[in-house]
Amino acid sequence: MAVTEALSEPPLEIEAAVARGRFLRAVMRNRKAVIGAIILFVMAFTAAFPGLIAPHSPTAALYGQNSPPSGSHLLGTTQLGQDVFSQLVWSTRLTLVVTLIVSAIATLISTVVGVTAAYLGGAADRVLTVITDIFLILPVLPLLILLATYLPPGPTSLVIVLCITSWAFQARQLRSQGLTVRNRDFLVAARARGERSFYIILVEIVPTMTSLLVASFLSLAVYVVGFAATLQFLGLGNSGELMWGTMLYNAQQASALEAGNAWWALAPGAAVALLGSGFALLNYAFDEIGNPALRPVRRRRKRRDRASA
Amino acid sequence: MSDEPQTPQTDENEPLLRTGGLSRHFGLGGLFSKQVLHAVDDFDLTIAEREIVALVGESGSGKSTVARLLARLYKPTKGEIRYRGRSLASLRSRKDVLWYRGEVPIVLQDPFSAFHPVFRISHGIMRNLALHRPDLSRDERRREAERVCEAVGLSPRMLTRFSYEMSGGERQRIGFAQALAVRPKLILADEPVSMLDVSIRAGVLNMMAGLRDREGVSVLYITHDLASARYVADRIVVMYAGHQVESGPTETVLSDPKHPYTQLLLSAVADPREKHTELSADTGEPPRVVNPSEGCRFRARCPFAIEKCGQVTPRLEPIGEAQVACHVAAARGGAAGSSDAAPVTHP
Amino acid sequence: MTEPLLDVRDLSVDYLTEKGDVHVLHQVNFAVAEREFVGIVGESGCGKSTLLFAVAQLLSPPGEVVGGEVIFRGRDMVRLHGGELRHLRWRDYSMVMQSAMNALNPMKSIGGQFKDALEAHGTQSREEIQSRSREVLELVGIDAVHLGSYPHQLSGGMRQRAMIAMALLFTPQLVIMDEPTSALDVVAQQSLMTKIRELQQRLGFAVLFVTHDMSVVSRYSDRVIVMYAGQIAESAPTEAIFERPLHPYSRGLMNAFPSIRGPRREMAGIPGSPPDLANPPAGCRFHPRCPEAMDICRTREPALYDRDGAKVRCLLYTEEGQLPAEPARETQSS
Repeated sequence: MAVTEALSEPPLEIEAAVARGRFLRAVMRNRKAVIGAIILFVMAFTAAFPGLIAPHSPTAALYGQNSPPSGSHLLGTTQLGQDVFSQLVWSTRLTLVVTLIVSAIATLISTVVGVTAAYLGGAADRVLTVITDIFLILPVLPLLILLATYLPPGPTSLVIVLCITSWAFQARQLRSQGLTVRNRDFLVAARARGERSFYIILVEIVPTMTSLLVASFLSLAVYVVGFAATLQFLGLGNSGELMWGTMLYNAQQASALEAGNAWWALAPGAAVALLGSGFALLNYAFDEIGNPALRPVRRRRKRRDRASA
Repeated sequence: MSDEPQTPQTDENEPLLRTGGLSRHFGLGGLFSKQVLHAVDDFDLTIAEREIVALVGESGSGKSTVARLLARLYKPTKGEIRYRGRSLASLRSRKDVLWYRGEVPIVLQDPFSAFHPVFRISHGIMRNLALHRPDLSRDERRREAERVCEAVGLSPRMLTRFSYEMSGGERQRIGFAQALAVRPKLILADEPVSMLDVSIRAGVLNMMAGLRDREGVSVLYITHDLASARYVADRIVVMYAGHQVESGPTETVLSDPKHPYTQLLLSAVADPREKHTELSADTGEPPRVVNPSEGCRFRARCPFAIEKCGQVTPRLEPIGEAQVACHVAAARGGAAGSSDAAPVTHP
Repeated sequence: MTEPLLDVRDLSVDYLTEKGDVHVLHQVNFAVAEREFVGIVGESGCGKSTLLFAVAQLLSPPGEVVGGEVIFRGRDMVRLHGGELRHLRWRDYSMVMQSAMNALNPMKSIGGQFKDALEAHGTQSREEIQSRSREVLELVGIDAVHLGSYPHQLSGGMRQRAMIAMALLFTPQLVIMDEPTSALDVVAQQSLMTKIRELQQRLGFAVLFVTHDMSVVSRYSDRVIVMYAGQIAESAPTEAIFERPLHPYSRGLMNAFPSIRGPRREMAGIPGSPPDLANPPAGCRFHPRCPEAMDICRTREPALYDRDGAKVRCLLYTEEGQLPAEPARETQSS
């Protein structure tokens, strides 16, 4: 009950409160932010309504096999006679969902681990830091082979593997940010009035880090987009799932390049790169907007002569 | 136990708060370092009901550490704190600890960092009410928040503001409003006016005196400013390098300082309304007390130091109405140096 | 009458912000004579530090001098350019910043930093550098062995003294100090100010310093300038302003801090807070907080009037307000 009481007061980022209008304008003026946002918007729309865009069924093997791009099949067909463009469009959904879920979970883990370590300090900090370091240096590919043996291929396994391997770096960052707020007086005040540690971490510390959390979410997304495709390309996917990584896997399995069907392989690769750049552009843009040192200073010519007039 | 905030068995004959041999040491350096900083050593303090006690000293004297020990933000290395006769070490359950925190809140020095930047200014007050007075309904809490806001001389409309929308003086008043929300018996005020402009200091000091007179609250007023201590405090405790060097009723200590350090402090304060007084030539600063040996910690700066000062740590002894930790003053049965308490001057 | 050492005329400074220009200083006029010790007091945000920076020509964006002159030894410093200013700065006037003790380079010994400064201004001979460094360090009461010390080996008070020694390397005629002692404890503060005052009288430079500590001003300065909301509210000899503050704001300040020895009496403080300088009140800028405000104060902007050897910006001292200036003591009933 105590927690809901506090949460009912609207938490508000200080920068946002001071300059909400200015922030929106800054986003609109930042070219990186605009391009990144457009890419993500198009991707999200495609993911939500693939049927509106894709001309054919993504799975129906009804058409000529390995046919080159044409008016009816923009990117040609697969070895089984499926429409590549439709596959590409329908694959957006699961790719985007996996990316967002993994980024969200990994951000959550890294926040909890990093901030808890920073706030509690002492032995707890040392233990959590060691755990973080272990995950940080974990050799990803051997782990992957190990997991692939035990986990059934599919999106769930993909999410688990990606979460395990991606949270540690951000945890270190959030820990150092946590260390900078740890001894701030408002936290001392919270401790003095008798708040529990978990309340202080969740309600008092985390809201001070929203901009860092957004940044860490975005950079995780960039990582996850690329790495998910890699894992699927290497076979930790269900080749029946509609994702860009599995498309790459299937194309490779079918020797699409040798068969003269380059679009089958290139299109999902390009889509992965585009989505990654969308997240990366937004991330850079937030960095620029959030860093006052990069903001232009308004200057005016000195009016020295006025004094003598 | 009843629903009323449970008062664990307390002793009516005891003062409100009493510390005995309170010490706090901090390890310096790495894991294998044997360097120990003695922030507070053997500190005995008594605070009665309805009393403002000023704890005076320079930065590094350990006065803020005392406040944080009393606020249970640090654990004592040695010694004990008794609140109404009950040892703080014996408060184990969360309920008991909350009871103590509710009776003895702290107001922090820097009003510019003591408030959460993301929440409205009412956050601390509402949280205090939720934690320490859970029996109140939502409406009652709101009314109570408005009441404490008015009690510190602010309009209740201020409650919906963010801390960056308020001036330093207003924030410091909110700090006291937070403390009042828990119906405290003793407020620990850690340099509450040192970051404020002169023009608003008076208001905060008057408010503290008002809390004592109207609400019967005691205050431990931590400060380096003797003049403001004189203005509000009933009793003054002077600290030097982790030790208490002198304490007593305000006017006694200030009009007849017996410890050479108190004399030095007094001589350094200029009173703009007075004709110029003679100044001391002392240029020393309080030491960092690392692995101290026996002896008076002020002796290196003391114009009256005798051989004994380097061998035996002086203990507090009553001289008149005051308690003084000084061999020279104890031997004379009065102020160290000249008996008419002239400012310290070096030969 | 001789020329003053420093003559500030109608100095105005704006801060250029996105919301518009904030007039941080508005037509400030004052002069500092040779060998004079002038203290500037006021609440935070009244423009006292900005004034020092503007006088020293050290304002950085968004602050900018938008009008007026700062005449130092006959030359208007506002019109001087980088090279000429660099030549004057440190040689003819020097500046000690607030918590300057943290401005020392931690990687260099004190002597090394003195040497850099001396060399930058053309002193080349080793003996000369050595002897001058020893001399100034001893001036401020630090043993010359500390030329070899690094800043972290010195206490806060000693570092602040070392900074003052550095400011005196070239025997300037004017030393500008921004809260030189506010980071120090009372005892260290008192001994440092005593030292500065003694050096000032011995070496004959003038001091312009800012503080929020009334007791420091009362003890060390010859003249006090009280600033309010970007303007000078009152400027008077120290004795006079503590005996007989003319401006209601000065009176408020005098009554805002407790006494250590005299009778204990109720302090009032000054209700309210300084105005937003982006949108200062019409008429007298102090009228919303003034206990003696008249109707005319709301509309007419007071100038700086001469009165009993002091200057005061208050309409009480014009025909409209025929109130005699009362001594502070009589207004404070106990």
